[in-house]
This record gives sequence, C-alpha cells and structure tokens, in this order.
Amino acid sequence: MRILFASLAALASATTMACSKDSGGPVTPVTLTPASCTGINLGARPAPIAVPTTTPTVLHLFGNGSDTSRYTAEIAVRGTTAYTTTWQVRRVQGNKVNIWDVSGNVPLLVDSLIIPGVITTSDVQVSDDGKLLVVATEFTPGSIAIYDIADPRHPQLLTRFSNAQTAPGVHTAKLGRVNGKLYGFLGVDPGGGALARLVIVDLSTPSDPRQVFVKVAGRPYVHDTYARDGLLFVGLWDDGVDVWDIGGCGTGASPENPRVLGNLKTVGGEVHNIWWYHDPNGSKRFAFVGQEGFGSIGTSSSGDIHVVDISDPTQPKEVAFFNVPGAGTHNFSVDEANGVLYAAYYNGGVRAIDIRGDLASCPGNQRNVDPATNLSRCDLRLMGREIGVGVAGLNPSIYVWGVQYVNGTLYASDMFNGIWKLGAAK
Amino acid sequence: MAQAIPLVTRADPTATRSALSEGYLSQPIVMAHASYNALRAVGTLDLEGLTLDRGELSTGGYGEGYVDRRHPHAYVHELLVGAQATRAGFDGSVFVGRGFAPFGSDDPMMRPFEKFPVNHHLAQVLERAVGIVALRRGPLIGEFGLFNGDEPLTPTSSPNLRRFGDSWSARVTALPTSGLEVSGSFARVASPEVRVGPGLDQHKASVVARFSRETSNAWRYALLEYARTGDHNKGTLTTTLSSMLGEAAYCRTGVIVAGRLERTDRPEEEQLLDPFHTPRPSTDLSNLGVSRWTVLTGSISAPRAHVGFVSGRPFVEVARIAVGAGTPAGIFNPEFRYGASRMWMLSAGIRLRAGPAHTRMGRYGSADSDMSMEGMGTHSPKPESDMMTNMPGMSRDQTARSGGSSATSKCTI
Repeated sequence: MRILFASLAALASATTMACSKDSGGPVTPVTLTPASCTGINLGARPAPIAVPTTTPTVLHLFGNGSDTSRYTAEIAVRGTTAYTTTWQVRRVQGNKVNIWDVSGNVPLLVDSLIIPGVITTSDVQVSDDGKLLVVATEFTPGSIAIYDIADPRHPQLLTRFSNAQTAPGVHTAKLGRVNGKLYGFLGVDPGGGALARLVIVDLSTPSDPRQVFVKVAGRPYVHDTYARDGLLFVGLWDDGVDVWDIGGCGTGASPENPRVLGNLKTVGGEVHNIWWYHDPNGSKRFAFVGQEGFGSIGTSSSGDIHVVDISDPTQPKEVAFFNVPGAGTHNFSVDEANGVLYAAYYNGGVRAIDIRGDLASCPGNQRNVDPATNLSRCDLRLMGREIGVGVAGLNPSIYVWGVQYVNGTLYASDMFNGIWKLGAAK
Repeated sequence: MAQAIPLVTRADPTATRSALSEGYLSQPIVMAHASYNALRAVGTLDLEGLTLDRGELSTGGYGEGYVDRRHPHAYVHELLVGAQATRAGFDGSVFVGRGFAPFGSDDPMMRPFEKFPVNHHLAQVLERAVGIVALRRGPLIGEFGLFNGDEPLTPTSSPNLRRFGDSWSARVTALPTSGLEVSGSFARVASPEVRVGPGLDQHKASVVARFSRETSNAWRYALLEYARTGDHNKGTLTTTLSSMLGEAAYCRTGVIVAGRLERTDRPEEEQLLDPFHTPRPSTDLSNLGVSRWTVLTGSISAPRAHVGFVSGRPFVEVARIAVGAGTPAGIFNPEFRYGASRMWMLSAGIRLRAGPAHTRMGRYGSADSDMSMEGMGTHSPKPESDMMTNMPGMSRDQTARSGGSSATSKCTI
C-alpha cells in the first residue's frame, strides 16, 4: 500500500511538474514517503524553473583576516565568531585553530587553540546548539578535540577522544543529532595497513565520548559524511555515496545500528562530501555530492558537483552536475532559504549556484551525456545556475578549502590567505 | 654471498631544518643462486627492516612512506624460481616469485654508490610478485613481466596476490659490443601507493645505456639513464616526473673513483609529525607539487682488504644537493622544509662482504646480459669459478660485468 501511495505521489508530482514553470515551489502539497523510509517525507518534487543565463556576479569582498604562517583549512562560523583549522606544514605545523571576530568587515584574529601532537587540524564543527566545538586531527594517532564554547572566543577543552579506530587520522568530524542525542561521525584515514573507517561517537556526554559504531568504509577513502533527519550520507570515494538510515526511517535503525538504504556511484567516483538540501517548500529530493579529483595543492584541482535525486533512497540517481573548467570542488554550505549552494573551489575560488527547482528537468541543449557511462544529466552551467564567483583570480593567489554561509554573509577559508568575508549572492 | 655496509651519514641541512648525523648498518643482504639442470632459483634476503627502520638519511630520496630518508626494503627482496633452456639459437627463461619487474636500470645496491639516487622509484620496479618471460637471441634480449602494482607497505608485507597481473612491463636490451648494453622499457603500474586501490596509476618509461668492462686490476663503468613516470588518475595524466642520471666509475689497482649527476623530479606529499615520513596511503589523490633535485655525488673507495673469507672496502661519499621548483611547483618551498635550497650529504663507511661478489640484481635467466651464451657469439666465454658456472650453456662474461663480480678482482665494489 505504501509503495502504491508513493508511486501515485510521484506520478502526481511528475504530472504537475510538467505543467508548471518559473516557480521554485511545489505545485501541489504532495508528499513522498519512500517505502524504504516511511519516517521521512521527501516532499513534493519541485517544479522546474527557467533561469536566464547571465554572467555570474562577483561576490562582494568585505575583507580578509590573514594568517600566512600556516595553511588554513576548514571553517566553522557561529554568530560573530569564526573558527579556522590549519593544515600540514608551512612555516609552522598545522596544530592550531584560529578564532576570529567576524563582526566587522575585516575578520580579526582574537585567539587561537594549539592542539599538541598533531600536524593538521583537519575539520571543525560547531554543534547545532552552539555549545560545542569539535576539531578533527591528523596524524598519528587521529583524534577529535571537544571544546565547550559557552564563551565562543575562549573555548575550553573538555576532552580529546582517540582510540585504535581513529588512527592514523580523523579526516573529518561531522555532528548530527538523532532523536535528541548528539553524535559525531568521523571519517578516518586508511594507514598502517588498516583500511578507511567510519566511526560514530555518542557525544551526549561531551566530556566522555563513547564510540558506538565502526565500519570499514570507502575505497580507498571515506572523506566526509552528512547527517540530517536521521539519514546519514557517507562519501565512499570510488564506492560512491551511501545513504544510511540512522533513525530517521522509523525502522529501528540508529547510529549504534545503522541500516544501509542505498548507494550510488556518481560519475567519476571520488566522492568527497555531501549536502542533503531541504528547500524552503519542504522538498528534500536532492543531495549534492562533491567530487575530489586529482589536485596539485596550490596550483590545480578537479572534480564536479553531482546532483543526486534521492526520491527512492534505495536507488539514488544522478540527474545533474556542475563543472568549473580548471578547478575542482571541495566543501559546501547552502543558503537553503534562498536556494543557493556555495562551494569552495580551491584555485577556482568560491562558486554560488542557484539550486532552486527541479534540477533533473532541463531542455536537451542543457543536457550532457557522460561518455563513460552514457548517463544523460542536466548541466547546471548550461542551465545558467552559476550566479556568483568569489575571490577567484586574486593576487596573491588563493586556494579555497571551505565556505560557510551565515545570515546573508559568506565566509571562505583560503589555504594561503586565511579567512575572507564576502557578501552573499543576490 | 652476504654483505653489509656500516656507515655514518651527515646531512646538512635536512628536513629538520638542521644538520643530522646518524650511523647505520645499511644494505645487510644475503644472496643465493642455485641451479639444477634447467631449473634456477634466486634469493635475496634483505635485513634492512632490522637495521633501517627509521630509514637512512638520503636527502631528496623518497618512497614507501619515507622522504629524505631511504626506506628499508622488504625482507624478501628476491625469491624466484625459474627454468632456462636453449633451443634453435634462442635462449629462453621463465621466472616466477617475488622480485624485480623487467623495467629500468639495475638496483642501486649493485652500483658504485652507497646512497641511492633520488630516482629510485622512477627507475626501478621491485619487490612485486612477478612472472617474467625472457628470450634472447644473439645480442638481443626481450623480457615481459606481469606483476602486482602495489608496493610493499613494510619490510614484512607480502605482495597483494589478488592484484597479480594488474600491472605489466616490458624491456628490450641490445648488446652491441662487449661491455655495452642499451635497453628501453615500459611499465604500466596500477595504484602502487594505494594497496587496496584505486590510487594513481603509473605509466613508466626508461632508456638506459650501460657500459662495464673489467680486467684483473681495472674496471671502467658508466651508466646513462632517462626515466619518466606519468601519474594517471582514471586514465588522465595528472603529473609527469622525469629523471636524467649519469654515473661513472673507474678503478685501478683496487681504488674506485666514482661520480654521479642526476636531475630528478620528486612528487611532494603530506608529512607526518616526523618530517621524514609520509602517510601511506596518502589522504587523497593530490600532491603538494613537484620538486626538482639536482644532485652531484662523488665517491672514492680504498682497495678491498681481506680477513679470512670476509673483505671490506672503505669509502667516502659526498653529495652536493640543490632543490628547486618542479612543474607544477605547488606549495613546495625548500626554505620552509630545509631552511635552505642547497645541501650537503657526507657519508663514510665500509662495504663488508663474505663470499663471492654479488651479481646484478633485477635481471633473471636469459635476461641477465652478464651471462654469455656459448656459441652465440656475443662475448667470448671464459668460465670462471663463480656461483653460476654450473648453468648449462652459460658462463659469466669476465670482460663485461656488473662492477666486478669476480671474487678475485681488485675492483669489485
């Protein structure tokens, strides 16, 4: 019965989609609860919208907070405080987390954290309640450092979590809340003869993290995850992207006992990061997958953004992609209210992409057939969806690792130059 | 045969941005060959895993998780069995086991310098599970090998046999005149640095000209080499690394003087807290750019002294090293890593050996060009008391050899 209902809903959605235009919202209040995950309503399929093809605007540049003693890595922003991590060895090793006051146009370095025994502070996240700062570290052993940020400018270390499963390095640490409980999802590097792993840590008592799940995952890497509404998206490099039920589907699955719903090998593999987009009209059909292809740090990068339709989470489908010639994507941040995805693009700066509407629907002249897989996909560039470019082509040169959108302002972490504050795309 | 090289090395500066002096027991190996009728066996036990766990200071060197230190080799450096036979003017052999793929130049351990060149991982493919067919007629040798692409993770790690056959190489060698050998080779190596795959694949090419001529108290040796490795990601070329190397040695009455000049590209990688180590595998498919190394090395060694069945050859080796940006430069900055772009490396030690001199390493059966084929007219055969003289139809060529393999020569390295 559920399958029949889902099918009818999808049919209704498809029918109405075909008759609508120039609207980012759903045309009927239909819902889609996949038979494989009845606990989640993926909402109506958004209507296609036509976007005039124009030259992307240059995102307004407010200012730069500079740190050239270390290479800057990931960024997390909460309120008027930003945290940036550091990577490898420049003049000094990347054992630091910079703390910035971003209330003005020019970010000001106000404090920093030194994490001993590491060479890279690779990822940083602030919990959804703003109480915790979590920093992932490499190498060896890997760990996460958990801070109380009741005073955001002066974090207090609660604990550092490390065990045999976090060696040789925690590449990313993403936070997600499942049934009210906070978890950390750790992407662990392969090394020392061990394969890459996904480790899930219960952070409900932040000073006493508890590992609740570990699984060898990724071929050969598991670089990142994305947890939301009880689903976990896992980037498995050439094994594609997994969709896991960790409690959202109502099947009894949990972070302690996850259930794999589906998998998709996106074109080219090299799946790095994911963002599951919830549009303001309730549609949750599309996930955005970042591909991290080969790059020569500081000089070049490669890899597309792949748009995946998860209407059936057991059989996700790639429906569209976005390519920047000569550059590759890294981390994302999405202004969901306005339907704009911001992507760090290393040597290509920051790209703002209009992701409103049905991204699977486009005219033939906006489609592209991948020669290796013969898969026909909408090309977001040909659809005119690139609406903004930031910090590209600056002198000195840039290499943007991460971005975060916060209340109309965009922040970008640049490996060479520290942190940039930018205006959002119009 | 057994050998070992106790030595001290001073690298000034090195990856600590300061000078380091260290002592080692380098290249402790035991080699054995055996034959019975057409059957052959080759084995080399390398004990560097016991003596060089931290790696040997070797500014510019890299590979297998080490950088600016040479990594210890696998305990089972070579272990192959094969068969060799001559029919209708052809000499053919088949070898299987663990050893060198038919590619590039000789193992640096068999050459006149203690320090490996920077290009070791561009110019040799070793310690793989190999199956090699070789065919020789007159002055021409052809080899083809299948092997596993993954390089060893540690001295104890074995080849990933499930990957056997994912990589191949082929080498053609010409022996135009006594002592001279010219070879060209190609290799396709799948994901050498990511054991489980899929990492970057390598397309390799090498051209080598080698000359070695020895008399009872003199030896002349030269080698010119060009090696190139293209890293490919899913078929797309991402990085090209190349190397030009020339080395020569001259020995008279037991004193060997040798010089080497190389210019080699090195891919830069992330490092661990210990600046001499890199993560294996790397955290992704990227590199940090390419550095270009120009290294001039000089070596002089005294005549070999004998005590019973053990002999020793003292040596001093000095290298002047310059490093700059390759293509692409990426973020490599020698001032950040070394505090300088010009460096010195000085080594002194003694080559200890028990038993007959070692043979060349990396060529098996019919592909060993030091082996003359009686009646095939390539070299004038003159059997000697060598470990391989019992091979039917084969004898070790006394005038063209690998830096001296006669137990009685004054010029064996």
